[in-house]
Amino acid sequence: MKKVTIDRRHFLKITSFSTGSLAIGFMLPGLSALAIPLSDCEFFQPNAYLKIDKNGKVTVFVGKQESGQGVDTSFPMIVAEELDVDFKDVKAAIAPYGTLKEGEHDTGGSQSVLGMYDTLRNAGAVAKAMIISAAAQVWKIKETSCAADNGEVVNTITMQRIKYGELVCKAALLPVPKQVSLKSAKDFKIIGKPAKRSNLNDILTGKTKYGLDLKIAGMLYAIVERCPVLGGTLVKVDDTAAKKIPGVIKVITYKGTGAPMHVRAGVAVIAINTWSAIKARKLLNITWDEGNKNKESTEALFKTFAAKALTKPQIDVFNKGDVSKFAGNNEITATYAQPFLAHATMEPVNFIASVTGEKCELWGGLQLPDWAVNTVSKECSIKKENIKVNLAMMGGAFGRRLHFDFAIEAVKIAQQLDKPVQLVWERTDDVQFQPYRPANYHRLKANIENNSLAAWQHHVLGTPIAYMTDGPNTKHPEEMDGANAGFCYNVPNVYTGYTPVDFNINRGWLRSVDICVNTFPVECFIDEVAEKLKKDPLDFRLSLLENRPDFKTGEGPGSLTQSPARIAGVLKMAAQKIGWTAARKPNHFIGLATHSFIFAKSYAAHAIEIELLEPKKFRIKRVVAAIDCGTVINPDGLLNQMQGGLAFALTQALKGEITVTDSRVNQDGFFSYELLTYEEMPPVEIYIIDSSEEPGGVGEVGLSTVAPALCNALAAAGNRPRNLPIRNEGFSWL
Amino acid sequence: MASFSLNVNNKQYTVEADADMPLLWVLRDLLDLTGTKYGCGVASCGACTVMMDGNAVYACQKPVGSCVNKKIITIEGLSEDGSHPVQKAWQKASVPQCGYCQPGQIMTAAAMLQKNKNPSEELIDSVMSNNLCRCGTYHRIKEAIHIAIKEINQ
Repeated sequence: MKKVTIDRRHFLKITSFSTGSLAIGFMLPGLSALAIPLSDCEFFQPNAYLKIDKNGKVTVFVGKQESGQGVDTSFPMIVAEELDVDFKDVKAAIAPYGTLKEGEHDTGGSQSVLGMYDTLRNAGAVAKAMIISAAAQVWKIKETSCAADNGEVVNTITMQRIKYGELVCKAALLPVPKQVSLKSAKDFKIIGKPAKRSNLNDILTGKTKYGLDLKIAGMLYAIVERCPVLGGTLVKVDDTAAKKIPGVIKVITYKGTGAPMHVRAGVAVIAINTWSAIKARKLLNITWDEGNKNKESTEALFKTFAAKALTKPQIDVFNKGDVSKFAGNNEITATYAQPFLAHATMEPVNFIASVTGEKCELWGGLQLPDWAVNTVSKECSIKKENIKVNLAMMGGAFGRRLHFDFAIEAVKIAQQLDKPVQLVWERTDDVQFQPYRPANYHRLKANIENNSLAAWQHHVLGTPIAYMTDGPNTKHPEEMDGANAGFCYNVPNVYTGYTPVDFNINRGWLRSVDICVNTFPVECFIDEVAEKLKKDPLDFRLSLLENRPDFKTGEGPGSLTQSPARIAGVLKMAAQKIGWTAARKPNHFIGLATHSFIFAKSYAAHAIEIELLEPKKFRIKRVVAAIDCGTVINPDGLLNQMQGGLAFALTQALKGEITVTDSRVNQDGFFSYELLTYEEMPPVEIYIIDSSEEPGGVGEVGLSTVAPALCNALAAAGNRPRNLPIRNEGFSWL
Repeated sequence: MASFSLNVNNKQYTVEADADMPLLWVLRDLLDLTGTKYGCGVASCGACTVMMDGNAVYACQKPVGSCVNKKIITIEGLSEDGSHPVQKAWQKASVPQCGYCQPGQIMTAAAMLQKNKNPSEELIDSVMSNNLCRCGTYHRIKEAIHIAIKEINQ
């Protein structure tokens, strides 16, 4: 059992949940209950995170936005555990925006469970303590003679029972305890047991409302034609033909913005339904001034990368020992490249805005609503306090909805209308105008001395996100997670550096962000070094991990302590489960990869077995993943994330690519920006390392090692791909 | 604009629309049946799959003018409460992550199994590859389809 002191911040702002005479709970200052007549009491809400009804039903208000990662299930599980109620009686609801403290709605970086675990456990434990106190008062016995059991309090002297629901009104009048006890992991009944998603049936019957499904009274629809070149401006628009389409209300224009969101100048068709707007858009006759950055291409960009890779990195990132001592000695070098990528969420981004006088109301999915509100306020000259946000379920996010370019667009459009408007991005818009995962290029160099790896150099070149969000004068453009102090292998001399290259399309964070970017070259090159040393790739990695003490991933508050033992642990597990040392069938090859995750104390490795059918044609026979994410809340959710993460990562490894010509993206939908399909999904097995360490995160840790494990298997089979997607190197698969 | 009489989920509706408006937008914008999802509009993702006279079709490819006198079933009409064997199988395998593509996945699978209670693995591969899932739940979709096959053959 763990004693926890209650922090006042847990009891902020609960008033906004409550209505009329039901305003109960505990508010600052003083942490004392409001005096409410018992007859008016319908529920008990000890804090912003949970509410208990008179019928015993519990609602957990989830601040983190749901986009498929399962917080709508894992959060209620955590509360139910400490509250000692049946998980079936607990429902999740989106915490209304503005009811939690700043940052608590921010969703990303695999932080949701990690960030909320203690808070939610406390919320559950506080409520239980108060309900027990209420029962003790009813029975006129000591609290220690009461025990919580599955939604009821038991009088341990008489064995009488009272349901929580019957105690909520009394509990609501009690002071919030200064200290509560949390359960020991060994007593967990809900945490760690597989649970089905709480809103499963709504999804499967089509009842779930995503942002795109919302309808506000009087709402119009907007489809936008955007300037084909970022930074360009509108010269003129002839909308005569567009306006003749039945259902079209008007055509309006707006200017683009700069950092952080880089909204493109747009011409919006407003109509009474989506289809009329889609049709009319095609009839717009627009003249754009493209500006002078309209000739950029990815072909030229990768040539620039290749040339600059040979020069000294612009930014020194990490330095240990002295790599210069080994210059030219027994050296191997290799270069790797990865393209721009699009998030391509199945629900294209969309947003509803309504502007009436000085008031603005918004509806839609946002991963970072605080930043969105601040920026909308600035870009659209609306006071922050006049902006009301209604958050919606997201049909996939993967980092796309960390950006809110679409929200700014919707408000700019709504400011020119007297009705609410839903902005819809067509799929072509989604693939052509989004904040892309940066293109990147790597030059690695290793020196061998005394049959061991003496020096490691990694030059990362990329088109940094910070150039877009902060502007080109940003102090920290480098995207080096996994290739900075977080480089996990114990090599005596290490140097890493970064060179930013600007490019005229927008960039943003994609699931796993730079960990994925840098793990691919690191894990491929470590295999190349092992080959040079004629060492087994598994043994070689383990030799560089096993005697290394825990290390910090960087300086400052954001840095984590990483455990090389756990990095090695998942690798060993994956290797063992795939049969690394067992005899292999003819033409079957296995590749391995592990990594340093950086965002959270989670660890994962992959082992992939392929069958080579022709020199560059293969079939993935088996994928084995091992994960160690500390305490697991919902093992079923974890497996789903790992299985899905594999599909996401295989898309990137095999075929995902955004190319640019004349500053325009060449791909325009799923026919040209292809995703992994059902028939391409290989058999996958996931192994979870049993651990009672603090929970890590599972949304991103299962991606980065997929591409290098696959490429290492292909290398073992005779042809090493060094550029993703591997389709560009002539590989094909069944 | 013209008036069209549609049979959706065994109910008769009359809608005012241009004859070229795809069924997808008729369902979503005019009838508020938003379980049928917009994913691409060009028959590349399967998110808008519905059943028309028992066949899985992309609602984004069916102009409303071509939908008269057809029996249209959307996810809302597959069952009232999620009790269709395919929905139950999806429930059992706990398939969804974000869930946005799942109505389309379920309609595709339901139409396939309605015509063929014992589809070959090759047929399943080919049919289900018409529906994309960015969360990557294919592993569980496969599991669910086999649960459903077992259930409907009992």
